[in-house]
Amino acid sequence: MRLFRLYSELGDMYLVSYEQSNNSLDKIKIGDKNYEVKYLGSGNRENEYLFEINGKKYYVFIESDGTLIFNHQDFLRLDKVTEIPIKGEERVEEIIRGKEGEIVSPLFGRVVKIRVKEGDAVNKGQPLLSIEAMKAETVISSPIGGIVQKILIKEGQGVKKGDILVVIK
Amino acid sequence: MPPFNKVLVANRGEIAIRVMKAVKEMGMKAVAVYSDADKYSPHVKYADEAYWIGPPPALESYLNIERIIDAAEKAHADAVHPGYGFLSENASFVEAVEKAGMVFIGPSASVMNRIKDKLEGKMIARKAGVPTSPGPLTPIENVDEALKIAGEIGYPIMLKAAGGGAGVGIIKVDNPSELAEAFERSKRLAYSAFGRAEIYIEKAAIKPKHIETQLIGDKYGNYVVSFERECTIQRRNQKLIEEAPSPSIKEEERKEIIEASIRFGKEINYFTLGTMEFVFSPVTREFYFLEINKRVQVEHTVTEFITGIDLVKLQIRLAAGEYLPFSQEDLKIRGHAIQFRINAEDPLNNFTPQSGYITYYKEPTGPGVRVDSGIELGSWVPPYYDPLVSKLIVYGQSRDYAIQVGLRALNDYKIGGVKTTIPLYKLILQDPDFWEGNFTTAYISEKAEYFTTKLKEEQEIQIAIAISIYNRGLMKKKKTEQKVPISTSNGKSNWKTYGIIFQSSPRVLW
Repeated sequence: MRLFRLYSELGDMYLVSYEQSNNSLDKIKIGDKNYEVKYLGSGNRENEYLFEINGKKYYVFIESDGTLIFNHQDFLRLDKVTEIPIKGEERVEEIIRGKEGEIVSPLFGRVVKIRVKEGDAVNKGQPLLSIEAMKAETVISSPIGGIVQKILIKEGQGVKKGDILVVIK
Repeated sequence: MPPFNKVLVANRGEIAIRVMKAVKEMGMKAVAVYSDADKYSPHVKYADEAYWIGPPPALESYLNIERIIDAAEKAHADAVHPGYGFLSENASFVEAVEKAGMVFIGPSASVMNRIKDKLEGKMIARKAGVPTSPGPLTPIENVDEALKIAGEIGYPIMLKAAGGGAGVGIIKVDNPSELAEAFERSKRLAYSAFGRAEIYIEKAAIKPKHIETQLIGDKYGNYVVSFERECTIQRRNQKLIEEAPSPSIKEEERKEIIEASIRFGKEINYFTLGTMEFVFSPVTREFYFLEINKRVQVEHTVTEFITGIDLVKLQIRLAAGEYLPFSQEDLKIRGHAIQFRINAEDPLNNFTPQSGYITYYKEPTGPGVRVDSGIELGSWVPPYYDPLVSKLIVYGQSRDYAIQVGLRALNDYKIGGVKTTIPLYKLILQDPDFWEGNFTTAYISEKAEYFTTKLKEEQEIQIAIAISIYNRGLMKKKKTEQKVPISTSNGKSNWKTYGIIFQSSPRVLW
């Protein structure tokens, strides 16, 4: 089992566990949902690959800039994919739980205000800090309840998309 | 003969481009204005001339009357088109344009001033015999009076701010126990938003639908109504999908509101384009007049499709003092049109506005498709203005055909870099309730949960496939596109190289 973090171009981050059970079947977990992805091989057209999920067939076309087109309808543009290393004895579920408390920056900007201190208890949805980008302020709220374990940034600091800002346990 | 020489378009984005297209087609010059945020916007490039009017916030640029008049004078424009929003219904702007010796493309300042608030509009509507909602024409003094009136007209009722707009201060009350609290809340909201605490009561429509008529008048008392539009699919009182004709009303009901709209126009001597907004209850089959919009509407496009009229060109001609070139009998409904407002908003996150650069852009084309876009690849969606970035309008010989075209065109429309409402519209077009016209203004909020789970699932499936592609190394395997070698260093003509490439190209099979 391997663990990945996928960043979409639109600032969304997905924590995904991945397991290749055989050559043509992948077991993938996103949040609390499980997906079985069947790989049916490459299609008749160049850069086309065929997949099947829940009985539905997907014709996936990879464009030269990396854009994925699904069934000529929907599309996905990823920013980057990073693998999270797993040490032998750690259980994946625990890592996932731990990673959920890592608040990452959804955009490129500058931290203008930090509203919490290390050691503070926060509720789900509570604003943690604001990031300014293109003169607009984006408020980052906590996705879970817990204790602020570590703040990795300072006010006024510039952050990139995907940088870890705060860790909540 | 074009009616003017040069028209300044005091707006931005898709509507500025739409108006400029009409201006250019009529043989006139189009002048754009822009704020710092729009320096590289398509509407600035598209114009024949462009003038800077201030920093990004709308109050200092697109709402800055002085700067816009200044730009118009510098450009020697002889007419100003306001588009929609911003200064389009601002009587002082109309006065300033007229004072500068230019023509305002829209109604005159005196007509703008005729209806100062909603209650006044309702009063004129009653006088003109336009159907209005039961309820007194005076503001309510206190809760006791509110209870008494609500008891007389029957629940559910609506509390509305007389000086309001954009849905602020409007509260629906279903029974007497809620009234006292709602009355105070509505008063407070109205006062903080508009500085006036006058509240009035009217009967609420059951299963409400939003239907509006397109009123067109010249300066000589001639009127036509180019039928109706239905704009029921909304979120938070903001329209998302509009269509014409309405699938909900019968022919005699259509006739009734057309005649009522013309009576209203005559009552206030209205000219150019106006939109009469109504709530319609498919249960009681009653229309309640809401308000008149004194400008070109965002959704004018669907009327253009079904009638074949170019409303913006007509608006310019009527403002120049020309006569209406046709009568009501000349107008016929042909087919069905639907408009989708492509907003840079996140439908999964309570429609929060998005800002960013457009990194990927594919526009749909083909039969029955029209795109009025204010963006292109590489342009920036600034956070300062309305999130509407583009409009997709589709046309078919019937409503069913239009829906088919719509789904195909939405699938073809790909915008990257910002989240848009396109995925939501695809789901709506696959919903049997939408096919059957079985929806009210609460459609989006009622089905919100279904839409968000479905959208989320679609996203996760895409992510699952993406990670599978990544781990199978398929990204790296993808072939780079064939590049045509261009070399000028060897002294040979490039034509020779191209010739050899095309002769030897394996792609030529016939």
